[in-house]
Amino acid sequence: MKKLELGNILIHDVQFSNEGSKVENGVLYVNKEEICKIALEDENIASCEVFLARPGESVRITPVKDVIEPRVKVEGKGGIFPGWIAKVDTVGEGRTHVLKGAAVVTTGKIVGFQEGIIDMSGPGADYTPFSKTYNVVVKMEPVEGLKQHEHEYALRIAGFKIACFLGELGRNVTPDEVKTYEFDNIVESAAKYPNLPRVAYVQMLQSQGLLHDTYVYGVDAKKTLTTIITPTEVMDGAIVSGNCVSSCDKNPTYVHMNNPVVTDLFEQHGKTLNFVGMIITNENVYLADKERSSNWSAKLAKYLGCDGVIISQEGFGNPDTDLIMNTKKIEAEGIKTVIITDEYAGRDGKSQSLADADPSADAVVTGGNANQVIVLPPMETVYGHLEFVDTIAGGSANNIDAHGNITVEIQAITGATNETGFNYLSAR
Amino acid sequence: MKFVIVTNNPRVRDELGKEFEVDFADITYREVLCKVRDMIYGGHKLLTHPLSGSVKPNETPYKSILVDKRWGKMDPQDASIIENSIITADKFSVKFPEMPDSVREDFQLIDTTLIKSALMSIPEIF
Repeated sequence: MKKLELGNILIHDVQFSNEGSKVENGVLYVNKEEICKIALEDENIASCEVFLARPGESVRITPVKDVIEPRVKVEGKGGIFPGWIAKVDTVGEGRTHVLKGAAVVTTGKIVGFQEGIIDMSGPGADYTPFSKTYNVVVKMEPVEGLKQHEHEYALRIAGFKIACFLGELGRNVTPDEVKTYEFDNIVESAAKYPNLPRVAYVQMLQSQGLLHDTYVYGVDAKKTLTTIITPTEVMDGAIVSGNCVSSCDKNPTYVHMNNPVVTDLFEQHGKTLNFVGMIITNENVYLADKERSSNWSAKLAKYLGCDGVIISQEGFGNPDTDLIMNTKKIEAEGIKTVIITDEYAGRDGKSQSLADADPSADAVVTGGNANQVIVLPPMETVYGHLEFVDTIAGGSANNIDAHGNITVEIQAITGATNETGFNYLSAR
Repeated sequence: MKFVIVTNNPRVRDELGKEFEVDFADITYREVLCKVRDMIYGGHKLLTHPLSGSVKPNETPYKSILVDKRWGKMDPQDASIIENSIITADKFSVKFPEMPDSVREDFQLIDTTLIKSALMSIPEIF
């Protein structure tokens, strides 16, 4: 049996400090120079600025590159973000401390149509989960002439390093709460819960190219075969984000670490179902890759003896084809599926929601309609680059009026229609 | 070489044209999809998904698609994918008729990385 304890140190404020960064009485104190020193270790980063953004403030952060939760491994093998910051030891056991309520938000211009808006107050704040976190915003600019691939890499790694630096501050702090996640191997769980339905989670990972990639233990997901991962491994940062285009339905690293499908399946494990494992599969551009990967999803679901699976998609358009291939092939093995997706149903919500469909996909949870239009009033402070709002997905030319109101589709808002359910939209 | 890259992206033409067969034309995103649709109805096999990338149709002007040069019987799944792709593309209105050159170049770059990721999946090349 594998066991991971998550020790949550509840953070209820973030402040700058001229002394060393620290966590004290639920307050995260951040020393700007320490953060910038980490960012500037990379010779490709020319400048770094640090800002703080708290829930309720009149602050807009854009374009968001990634959101990362500060964590530290205090017991057990390996470290957070294996393959990037830590070595590639298998993680997911022992004890991990979490600065729960805090987040590192990286921002910086990589391409001219970049996006991702987090409003800390106003109507936009209701659409992003990261308006509720105490955010350490790190704005980094590259050296002149840096290619976009290296730029993306530099921002991504700097974000992980800074999150680990902040996470380390919680190593010796007594957590406010400890959550325990126990995971049996398939023989043990079959013996323990012979009468419960066997359910696995199939997570689809975006894997198509620059700003469209995901990494598993440091490996580019587009170069992987569909495989099995222990659900507690993702809590230690085994899966990280390298994508941020159309940010409403992309998983920032924070979402991978806090995947609600995983935590909800753990919650039901041993009660209404037997959570037998997690299958990760990619979403490549090449059609033969889609066929192979979905074949393997079905094969592994059958191998685990599943009665049912939950499939979450990442993105829209060509991943709809991966989603339907996974669903059809898994259903053909006699395994029930529930899929989690989002919709591009037009601004009036009347168009066909997905670019592919099949009668076997008859149990669907939606993260919302990404074409839904919202007007975002101006904020007193903008961290990042507002000029990109004109050219982001969901924006349109001259979409800022004389009063500074921005009219966008919610696809521009980070996490608005997240397809793991890590969002606020609901039909209730 | 058993495939052709159908594209309207000049960067793909310039960067990949020496090594691979590139069918470049200065046409719209939708016209690239229609050109590929006609090839599929002619019996060519679709090799990459036409809606590759998260940059939305009509947000980016550029599209590159890999198609098998050999032809045989039409594949109904390919026909379904390309037809659904055209329907999907038509849902998105053209957003930036006057795009700055720097943004245009970034869209060209992203389309190039998407098609390169597909080329990496072809065993006989890499």
